[in-house]
Amino acid sequence: MTTGTILRSEERPMRSSAVGWDVDRGMTGTDQEATLLARIARRDATAFETLYDRYSRAVYSLALRMLGNPQAAQEVAQEIFLHIWRGAGEFIPARGSARSWVLSLAHHRTVDALRRQKVRTVETLAEGDRSAGGGADVVEQALRGVEGATVRSALMTLSADQREAIVLAYYGGYTQQAIASRLKIPLGTVKTRIRDGMQRLRVQLAGGEEEPQ
Amino acid sequence: MTHEQASELLAAFALHALDRDEAQAVSAHVQSCDRCRSELASWQEVTGQLGSAVRQVTPPPGLREAVLAGIQMRQDVIQVRRGWALGLAAAAALVLLILAGLGVSLGRQLTAISTRLAAQEQVLALLAAPSARSVSLTGSVTAAVRFVYDPDRGRGALVVSDLQDPGREFVYQLWLIAGTQPESAGTFRPAPGQPVVLPLVADFSRYQAVAISIERAPSGARQPTTTPILSGKI
Repeated sequence: MTTGTILRSEERPMRSSAVGWDVDRGMTGTDQEATLLARIARRDATAFETLYDRYSRAVYSLALRMLGNPQAAQEVAQEIFLHIWRGAGEFIPARGSARSWVLSLAHHRTVDALRRQKVRTVETLAEGDRSAGGGADVVEQALRGVEGATVRSALMTLSADQREAIVLAYYGGYTQQAIASRLKIPLGTVKTRIRDGMQRLRVQLAGGEEEPQ
Repeated sequence: MTHEQASELLAAFALHALDRDEAQAVSAHVQSCDRCRSELASWQEVTGQLGSAVRQVTPPPGLREAVLAGIQMRQDVIQVRRGWALGLAAAAALVLLILAGLGVSLGRQLTAISTRLAAQEQVLALLAAPSARSVSLTGSVTAAVRFVYDPDRGRGALVVSDLQDPGREFVYQLWLIAGTQPESAGTFRPAPGQPVVLPLVADFSRYQAVAISIERAPSGARQPTTTPILSGKI
């Protein structure tokens, strides 16, 4: 399939004598992402396209990983980008990177979609899935989709319990309460596992990339 | 929610693992607490990395088109209905308002109606302004298209009385031209047999011309890819 860029290059590059215009001068790759979001907040469609091209893979892949269904992932991704278009003004550079803002928004919207989906399908879940009780199957499945080596090895430094809680929360879209019911353990235990596990992940991921092998 | 309670929940908040009420309480606290805000930012860097670590898949090509169409297609185009249809539209709006008064949830329809009403008001104000000017757009097609604008107030409207359908695969795209740089003012389609009006807010001292080109449906282009079919100096 063709992308917009390919379509444009196939068109005749024409100019009007009455109205001179430069056809597609494009953007340089040096645009800072925070600047991109600021320009999107001013309704700059060119900046939005650049942001789309930079993040569509990441956003779609995350939605697909969590929802497991290309059609649903596409719908959510579309919703996410419309949210970015309308909400770019809420991004404040001093409060974190543009990348984590975009991914956090994407995750949030996908979690919402997942919870809507679960409400619909909770009755139709296979008995096997429900009686399995624990999260081992879901965790194993989610971890298979995690390919980033740094994140993978950081997750492996957690205890199995912490890893299970964090994977169920992040990739599975479960609330702490839902994890507690699923695993049949007290809510307080889930909270502790998530807090301690996240603490450890933060340390691992902060230092991980700079360390020589 | 106290600072201690909120800060205990920040990591779970970043994972979106709180239920709705808790999440709202944490969010409200974070707005007013610098320490929690920077703490949250560091958790979001962690969750961002979790999100980036999944197997990367190329999205279907239709997604790009759909997303760009979603932001480009103008929502505030006024279709001028001739004759009795106008009364019918007003009656429909009234019915919606009454239903809304009865507590029937019609948020989206009401938003659409109020967007349209605001657009109509804007155009009426423009026509009433003594400083308003009007220019007929001319070019390679036979059409009746005018651009009305008020340089003092920065309001304008494209009035499309007669313009042929561009065909299923194309849309018209309106451009404001500053020097040699066209800036998109959105895409539109003429309604069959009905004039359409596109309101516009812009600093017209920056622009020398308006132009319309035919671009691919549904999203148009970020820069014109064809010669404008109509243009006018402003």
